[in-house]
Amino acid sequence: MDLLPQLLIAGVVIGSVYALAALGFVLIYKSSRVINFAHGQIIATGAFIAFALTQKGVNFWLAGLIAMLATFLLGMLIERVFLRRMVGEPIIAVIMVTIGLSSVIDGLIHLTPYGAGTFSFERPALLTGQGIELFGLPLSKTQIAGVLMALGLLGGFTYFFNKSTLGITMRAVADDQMAAMSVGTSVERVFALAWAAAGLTAAAAGVILGLMSGLTLGGLAGIGLKVFPVVILGGLDSVIGAIVGGMLIGILENLSAGYLDGIVPGGGTREVFPFIILIIVLLIRPYGLFGTKEIERV
Amino acid sequence: MPASRFTQTGNYRTRYAQDQTIFATYAEQLSLIVLIGLLLLLPLILPKTMLRDVNMIMIYAVAVIGLNITTGYTGLINIGQAAFMGVGAYATALAATRLNLPFFLAIPIGGIAGALVGTFVGLPSLRLKYLYLAVATLAFQIIFEWGVGHTPLLAQGGAISLPPVQVFGVKATFFNHNFVWYYLILPVLVVMGLLWRNVLRTKHGRSLIAVRDNDRAAAAMGINPGTAKIMAFMIGSFYAGIAGGLFAYFQKAVVIEDYGLHISIQLLAMAIVGGLGSLPGSFLGPLFIVTLDRLVGNGSQWLGAQNLFPAGVDVATALRPLSFGLAIVLFLMFEPRGLANWWRLSRLYFKKWPYKF
Repeated sequence: MDLLPQLLIAGVVIGSVYALAALGFVLIYKSSRVINFAHGQIIATGAFIAFALTQKGVNFWLAGLIAMLATFLLGMLIERVFLRRMVGEPIIAVIMVTIGLSSVIDGLIHLTPYGAGTFSFERPALLTGQGIELFGLPLSKTQIAGVLMALGLLGGFTYFFNKSTLGITMRAVADDQMAAMSVGTSVERVFALAWAAAGLTAAAAGVILGLMSGLTLGGLAGIGLKVFPVVILGGLDSVIGAIVGGMLIGILENLSAGYLDGIVPGGGTREVFPFIILIIVLLIRPYGLFGTKEIERV
Repeated sequence: MPASRFTQTGNYRTRYAQDQTIFATYAEQLSLIVLIGLLLLLPLILPKTMLRDVNMIMIYAVAVIGLNITTGYTGLINIGQAAFMGVGAYATALAATRLNLPFFLAIPIGGIAGALVGTFVGLPSLRLKYLYLAVATLAFQIIFEWGVGHTPLLAQGGAISLPPVQVFGVKATFFNHNFVWYYLILPVLVVMGLLWRNVLRTKHGRSLIAVRDNDRAAAAMGINPGTAKIMAFMIGSFYAGIAGGLFAYFQKAVVIEDYGLHISIQLLAMAIVGGLGSLPGSFLGPLFIVTLDRLVGNGSQWLGAQNLFPAGVDVATALRPLSFGLAIVLFLMFEPRGLANWWRLSRLYFKKWPYKF
């Protein structure tokens, strides 16, 4: 039983959730150049909607789908009500609106009974029972299903952007809004769709994370911060970058937990290592591995 | 000199030197002196429980002036101001407990520590702009919190208590703590405010604004944007360090929770609600946010007693972030220039009275 493959596998498992969370983040940034600090809270909203539905006796898979639909609409609503007014405002204003929204959603979740406690999904029948063993590391069916769901969604979105007309439209807007508008693309519709799609992936990330490690508001919303190292490493406006960055950060944080925790007093390097990577990446290659190079130097 | 010495009726300036004066008329100068005089009398009439909030507002105002210097005047988004406050607070605490320095030496040490760390963290601003820099300061905030939590010297984020303060023979005790500290914080705030108002008149202060508005144009005019940005970070985090030192003494102990990410966000919210890049806004913003928080806290106590919410819901923890977030969003949507704009408009109204525009 070797430590390294174990850490790698555990990294891929959590990394797929990071990738899914980062995907929503990138979708919004790519289309509208908005940094969304409320993404963690949307993830939490999706997860808790799904949980509340399963508590009411709804089938797990159906509850997940309804939650994804709900955050799809929530994303669209946020874009329509708040962000559309902010087009052309300074970046600090746009960032602060999303920070304010994250605080509002936080408060709203605290108004429900789910704000303070720790909950866990009742596992659906398909995911109970013995998992498999990989390189001596027992993987539960939940973890395998989580990775597969994440990879499926990521693959689906990659396919969507490369093949479907709508996806190509969204890429066109991302590349050059003026040019896209002048050939008759509705930029507003694309912004709304980007937010909606981001909401959809957020709920998926929330449900998968909830299945794997339980539901707490702090834990789910905290993913919204983990997204920053992921997208900076992968490149803020690259879907591939989100996937690769998510996996890399997941693996690196597990490696740091495995090898550095013994050296650092108190341990817990997992929490901070991604952010140290973030700073290093910012200094060496600010646009990330796959991002567009648009940084100008002073 | 304007035609009237009491009200400014128009722009009579003919020289740059006149343009640089802080006060247009004697009446303005007088009104500031009266205001400070009234503030000196405030603790005598204010209930003791409110005095604590007033002290918090003044400490946050020092930090918000600093944040306004980096974010408001220079345009460098800083999501780590609370961490700079924390650096100052811990430096102050170490100076006071390990070196046994008196508070009037320990607090400046906190400011200098804040400035040093701030300069270091500001170095990426030479290469990064806008949201990349915002993310860098965010990362510093998180690394700071983690770092303090893992340093035995800093009690791993637990409480380091500070010795009580003795000024002019008066010792701050449990009973007069808020009262004594009011008179210690107010002069610091006034001095720091006037200091920045004066720096703003110099070429250094004006170069910051030039860099914010357009750093390429500023470079073309002979300003070095890099120097200006580093300077903004240095001054801004110096203010944060001073605020942190005051906060440490005022709270009697340093705890990492007082310098967390949510405080950074609160400081940003104060700067925005007050009005980015405005000195009066740096006072109005903390006033608004702290008052709002207190009102919502009291209101939710009443609401919680009404049995409107399901069991297990803590109304205060729900309504506080809700109202705070709503305040930010609504201000940004409907009054992006903040409370300072209302202040400006009301001043304009009285200036023009009884004539309207």
